[in-house]
Amino acid sequence: MIFSFLTDPAFLEDIVRILFVFVLITAAFILSTRNIASLLTVYTVQSLLLVLIAVSLYLIEGSQTLLAIAALTLVSKVLLIPIFINLIGEKIKISRDLKFNYMEPTASLVVSIALILLAYVFLSGFFNEVVLGKLFFIGAVIGLSLTLMGMLVIFSRRKMITKVIGYLTMENGVLLFGIFVADLPFIIEILIVIDLMILVLLTTILAIGLDSTREQYHQRLHTLKIWSGRED
Amino acid sequence: MIILSYLAVGAVSLALILLSKSHRTMNAFSILHTLSFLAIGLYALLTTVVPTFEAGSEYFYVDHLSIYEVLIAALLFFLASVYANGYVESLMQAHELHRSNLKIFYMASSLLLTTVTLAFLSDNLALFWIFAELTTVFSAALVAILSAKENIDAAFKYIFIASGAMLFSFIGLIFLYTLSGEVLGSGTLNWTVLTANATLLSPKMLAASFVFLFIGFAAKSGIFPFHTWLPDAHSKAPSAVSAILSGVLLNVGMYGILRMYAIVRQTQAEHLVSQFLMGFGLLTVAVAVLNMLLQRNLKMLIAFSSMEHMGIILLGIGVGTPLALFWTLFYVLAHSLTKASLFFSAGILHRQYESNLIQDMRDVLSLQPVAGWGFIIGSFAIIGMPPFPIFSAKLFILLEAFGFSKSLVFAVLLLLVIASAAFARFLIEAFSRSSKDTGTGELETPLLPYRVRKGMKFPILFIIFMILALGVFFPESLENLLNEIVYELGYL
Repeated sequence: MIFSFLTDPAFLEDIVRILFVFVLITAAFILSTRNIASLLTVYTVQSLLLVLIAVSLYLIEGSQTLLAIAALTLVSKVLLIPIFINLIGEKIKISRDLKFNYMEPTASLVVSIALILLAYVFLSGFFNEVVLGKLFFIGAVIGLSLTLMGMLVIFSRRKMITKVIGYLTMENGVLLFGIFVADLPFIIEILIVIDLMILVLLTTILAIGLDSTREQYHQRLHTLKIWSGRED
Repeated sequence: MIILSYLAVGAVSLALILLSKSHRTMNAFSILHTLSFLAIGLYALLTTVVPTFEAGSEYFYVDHLSIYEVLIAALLFFLASVYANGYVESLMQAHELHRSNLKIFYMASSLLLTTVTLAFLSDNLALFWIFAELTTVFSAALVAILSAKENIDAAFKYIFIASGAMLFSFIGLIFLYTLSGEVLGSGTLNWTVLTANATLLSPKMLAASFVFLFIGFAAKSGIFPFHTWLPDAHSKAPSAVSAILSGVLLNVGMYGILRMYAIVRQTQAEHLVSQFLMGFGLLTVAVAVLNMLLQRNLKMLIAFSSMEHMGIILLGIGVGTPLALFWTLFYVLAHSLTKASLFFSAGILHRQYESNLIQDMRDVLSLQPVAGWGFIIGSFAIIGMPPFPIFSAKLFILLEAFGFSKSLVFAVLLLLVIASAAFARFLIEAFSRSSKDTGTGELETPLLPYRVRKGMKFPILFIIFMILALGVFFPESLENLLNEIVYELGYL
């Protein structure tokens, strides 16, 4: 069997560990990249990494829910949401988010290292009670760190579109945490994705107004026709 | 059946609003929606045996607490939609609200009422979480509806802080799910199961998941340090929306905290969590009150006052005795009503002066007698003067808190004095100014009184009548209802 390595748990666990590193790298990129198009690409890659992690875990554990989560993430976060934000991004015609609040990227990266350590210390205080495998423990730490780093993005970036991507990163962190700590019923995962879609829809539409100038805003709202609810 | 009728009525109302052409019909359907929600709630309270599971599963659960919250929400939405008829028309006339956004306004408020109701009726905490998230989205749309830059800014702040914090709540839910899985074999997030098995859960992990859940729910209720969105959103939103934000949406977070506390208080973590809640309650009151004292913006003043009251409600939950819970529940009702009357009055004053700032107000009582007196009486009620209901509620909560810590009670009392001073200062400065004695010698253009439209005075008068009645006379049916809630939450 040429694909026999796919059934070898030790190999798969190593793959998941490598994917963890990639996830952290994408988070660092989201904290520091100024170009909005590449921000979106990085987010898409990050979501794709989550899909791969879920699939590898499925191969290790065999739980059907993980496969369903992987499919759901692929459709919603790798395809639909990036396409939608890209559409909006083209409308606003801003390509760069240059300004930072409170912290420059270097400082944010230093703070994120501290956040990862914090997540590790915090979780190791609790999960000696609940028995988690070593891989799962690291997954939980990475998930929590990703959530905190997403929060940092919301704090430190100026443009609303970038903040939306920060929020999406937070949500990816929660998903990662969820995959490794508990197997939640799939229906809840679906509802969360629906909630996320509505939220992204609303925030990006509103972002058109803020990220561009005000006169254009009214025009753009009318061309979008999502708000007016009329056909004309 | 209850949940299905709520869903059906919600869907039908939404469709009717979507199909209607004129403002009048949209408003009529919206009022009808709220009235049917009230009717279903009352019907459920009077005829159905509660607590009961709904819709054939354990996802939805109706008990006295959820019906009580649903009734408060539906009542406030009813008053707000009666008020909205004239108010929104004025906004459109002043070109503040774009006519094409009108339908969005009514659809968002209809969706908001439905999701708030479903949130209160959810037994599954993850379901509650999702509905609570959706309330943030729809209410943020209502804040942004005026499509001015400030409004959209405020809406963004609201979404990012509330939803971001709610993600931490979700981490708390994952904790809770794992924790229950350890003990019960398979994980669950159903509140009824968790309450029944609370004593089996590990107190340390339970406290940790409580803290995570608290972050999200506290952000939704404007508890310090997650309160920063609240003054912006509540003061920038149209007043009919502000009333709902303060009177209904803040209760959603408090409801979540109360449900979680009911689980935690059965375990050894109770003491720790109690102190935690009381600490945050006190800090919230302090921060709110200090922001109120020199406030020059009327709606900001009312918004910070909401924050102050959420702090006291949190304190009431933290005290955790049956009597404290009883009065905390009553406090929720009293606060929601009183706060709505204040925002409704502020809405009329804002139409009159086209500003919320203290220096723009003059001749208030001669120009707008109903709104003026509504605001004066509302202020007396909100600072907790007898005979208004907040007085008795505050009194008994503080008396119960006395058993915990005397210094805490003294600190709160001191802060309440400052809050009263803030309202008194605002009233004296804004209401005593007359256009005749500005004294600067410049010619003041005399203001024409804003003609208050039909239906805008009724909610104010109705609420004032109701809080006066509730203050002097405590209906037995309400007492029974609150006692039932205290009993069902396992306090007795």
